[in-house]
Amino acid sequence: MPGLSPAFVALRVIELADDPGGEFAGKLLADLGADVVKIEPPGGVPGRSIGPFADGRDGEPDAGLHFWTYNTSKRSVVLDDTSLDGRRLRDELIATADVLIMSWTPRQLAQHGLDFDSLQAEVPGLVILSVTPFGLTGPWAEYGSSDLTALAAGGLLNLCGYDDHSIPPIRPGGNQGYMVAASFAHCGVLLALIERRRSGLGQLVDVSMHEAIAVSGELANPYWFYPKALVQRQTARHAQPVSTQPACFKCGDDVWVYFALMLSDTKAWAATVAWMDELDLAADLVEEKYSDLAYRQQEFAHIQGLIEVFFLMQDAQTAYHEGQRRGLPIGPLLALEDLPDDEHLVARDYFVPIYLPTDEQRSAKFPGSPYRFSSFTSGPARPPRLGEHTDAVIEDLVSRKAVQDA
Amino acid sequence: MESQWEARRPRPRRGPLAGVRVADFCWMGVGSVATRLLADYGAEVIKIENRKRLDTPRKLPIYRDEVRSYGDEDANPDPNKGGLFNNYCRNKLGVTIDMSVPEGHALAVELIRHSSVVTENFAPGVMERWGLTYDFLSSLVPDIIYGRMSGYGHSGPHHHYRSYGPVIQAVCGLTFISGLPDREASGWGLSYMDNQAAYYNSAALLMAILHREVTGEGSEIDVSAVEAGVSLVGPDLLDVTVNGRPTRRPGFPRGNRLEYPDAAPHGVYPALGTDRWVAIAVFDELEWQRFVLAIGEPAWTADLRFATQASRFANQDALDEYISNWTRTQDAHEIMRILQTVAVTAAAVQNPQDLTDHDPQIAERGTFFELDHPVIGPALFEGLPMQLSRTEADIWRSAPLLGEDNDYVFGDILGIDEDRRRELAATGVI
Repeated sequence: MPGLSPAFVALRVIELADDPGGEFAGKLLADLGADVVKIEPPGGVPGRSIGPFADGRDGEPDAGLHFWTYNTSKRSVVLDDTSLDGRRLRDELIATADVLIMSWTPRQLAQHGLDFDSLQAEVPGLVILSVTPFGLTGPWAEYGSSDLTALAAGGLLNLCGYDDHSIPPIRPGGNQGYMVAASFAHCGVLLALIERRRSGLGQLVDVSMHEAIAVSGELANPYWFYPKALVQRQTARHAQPVSTQPACFKCGDDVWVYFALMLSDTKAWAATVAWMDELDLAADLVEEKYSDLAYRQQEFAHIQGLIEVFFLMQDAQTAYHEGQRRGLPIGPLLALEDLPDDEHLVARDYFVPIYLPTDEQRSAKFPGSPYRFSSFTSGPARPPRLGEHTDAVIEDLVSRKAVQDA
Repeated sequence: MESQWEARRPRPRRGPLAGVRVADFCWMGVGSVATRLLADYGAEVIKIENRKRLDTPRKLPIYRDEVRSYGDEDANPDPNKGGLFNNYCRNKLGVTIDMSVPEGHALAVELIRHSSVVTENFAPGVMERWGLTYDFLSSLVPDIIYGRMSGYGHSGPHHHYRSYGPVIQAVCGLTFISGLPDREASGWGLSYMDNQAAYYNSAALLMAILHREVTGEGSEIDVSAVEAGVSLVGPDLLDVTVNGRPTRRPGFPRGNRLEYPDAAPHGVYPALGTDRWVAIAVFDELEWQRFVLAIGEPAWTADLRFATQASRFANQDALDEYISNWTRTQDAHEIMRILQTVAVTAAAVQNPQDLTDHDPQIAERGTFFELDHPVIGPALFEGLPMQLSRTEADIWRSAPLLGEDNDYVFGDILGIDEDRRRELAATGVI
């Protein structure tokens, strides 16, 4: 079993980011073994007051599951950067860092007395990772944002919702606007760190959540760039220039499965009919006339009706594994409570037990590392309590200065 | 014409990854998007294709000036016409190899010997069938990085399951948590996890490269799209594992409303025009007061039901109806402008036409850029949403034509002479 990579263990990161985009990027570095020191204002970053909370401890800064999700493996230092002493301490900490993670707009940076140009001049090796709603430049740089409005402006929201267009587009769950920004932030900081090995110099990595979303719509932009077609949203399946048949089916146990039958795929058609026939639910689909694609297309409402009945006659797990056994790409719409017991995730030891910040005698499962390397490891450790490491980090700073002065 | 081909000739690349050569067996969406980022930043990514089994994005009918739906493929597609392939494979070199014949297999091995990264996203087992295991690759190149991208990962009881974006999104929970309360999921209108798994794979390759630079060690990488998806579902997952609170419960998922924090109004409202919408998110008392002023202080805003954050949150049905009556007579972008001017969080629900033709932020930041292509002509590309102050992306060429760089790669890199190359082409090996 390999250990953490020296490449990341040696990294010192100061994080002032206070929204999930920057925080998740910091978490990804921290889970690799980097020393990510999160600087928080007295009372904690805003994310500490967002629920849900552990064990009904509503409002307690150390008990927020939102905070835990985006801040595993970090250390927490509280300092007040509105005071002169606090600000000096903050700047001294930044001077010790390889990477600084920010999420403030230019106006917020100025309010907090931070200027990237002078920082770069003072600490030439520093990589500044800025993850903001719109990027640090441009006419919308100071616009307010949230996960919902970011997904709206970036175009992803336009793709998601129901066939019924009297219903507005619906935001997918889990703060994905921030998550897309975090993914690019992670790539950007790694590129800057690789470049720094050659030049010895840091640089500013300016990530825009708006643009990250705008380039992540898969088919939507190419459909506009090439045939000038605008895709239309459809219930739980690809937005398309023209409508396609529903792809989610309800099973007998009230769990849905995703199963998109491409009528033009001869192999999938044969496999589906054989499967239905085995349960005596294929009806007339076994007849020769259905081998003709044009006939299948003409009869697609009838076919769809039979498939609906077919899935209602079994439970979702049976349909999932039996369909996959037959080579058909099918998946159940798992609820989150299904995940920790999923036999595949269990076999791969995906979830990691972590002792809770609120109760070190008790552990709960956290999502583990999404990537596995043969030569080093990655994985979450306990999120920090508010200010848990203030003393240790300041003592360390003092001894660093003593070494410097000596 | 001469000069166009001249400009397409392979040249030394610039950027942090200059000098990294990738033998890229990737295809479809995830793999191609993953290695695109490496190519953008200077890696020499050599895409290995099979003439007998064209990469799907070459065949998907996203053609210039010709509207076809996703499933409506041309029976005999021009492999150089596909817009999606162009979008995914810019800045990469393209070669063709028939892996099923011994000469083809030997060529691939030789190319790997000249590379420092190998990438693939076939169904598990395909590379093994060709003998291209990590053990074998590291016998050729001791510090090789072997990036393996799949739906379920390379171990575990479901590792061989077939998947694509929507199946991954279903199995990792992302679809279930997306929709209006107490009805079927609305989920995702795209293969979100194709993009996210691709970005995770790009990052994993970069991590392995950084690790190698520091330690000299190579790596085999196993990224499962399902696991990447689970890592993205957010705080509701800990609500399950810490609090035991199931997501199969009345009132879940939350549609466009937030439960944490108790923002209100928080929704998507109809605007002027067909299927045009605007998102508005008001998080606190001050923002609400600015919102009320911006919409002209109509009488209903004084309703006691809307007096506090908590009461607005409790009375969202009524609140949303009033707001919809205000929004539906106005242009979505105008609403965005009016509200953002007074620091109220709002955004038009933009479509790709808005992004391309009207969005001043995209225009100013140059997010989309144009490159010429010999068959398709000039086309727009989805660029990079991050700007590095000292390191520009090295954007030099649109996607390769099928086998476009066979001469350069097999000749200049592998040193195979012209007669032999002609023979390999004539016998269908390349």
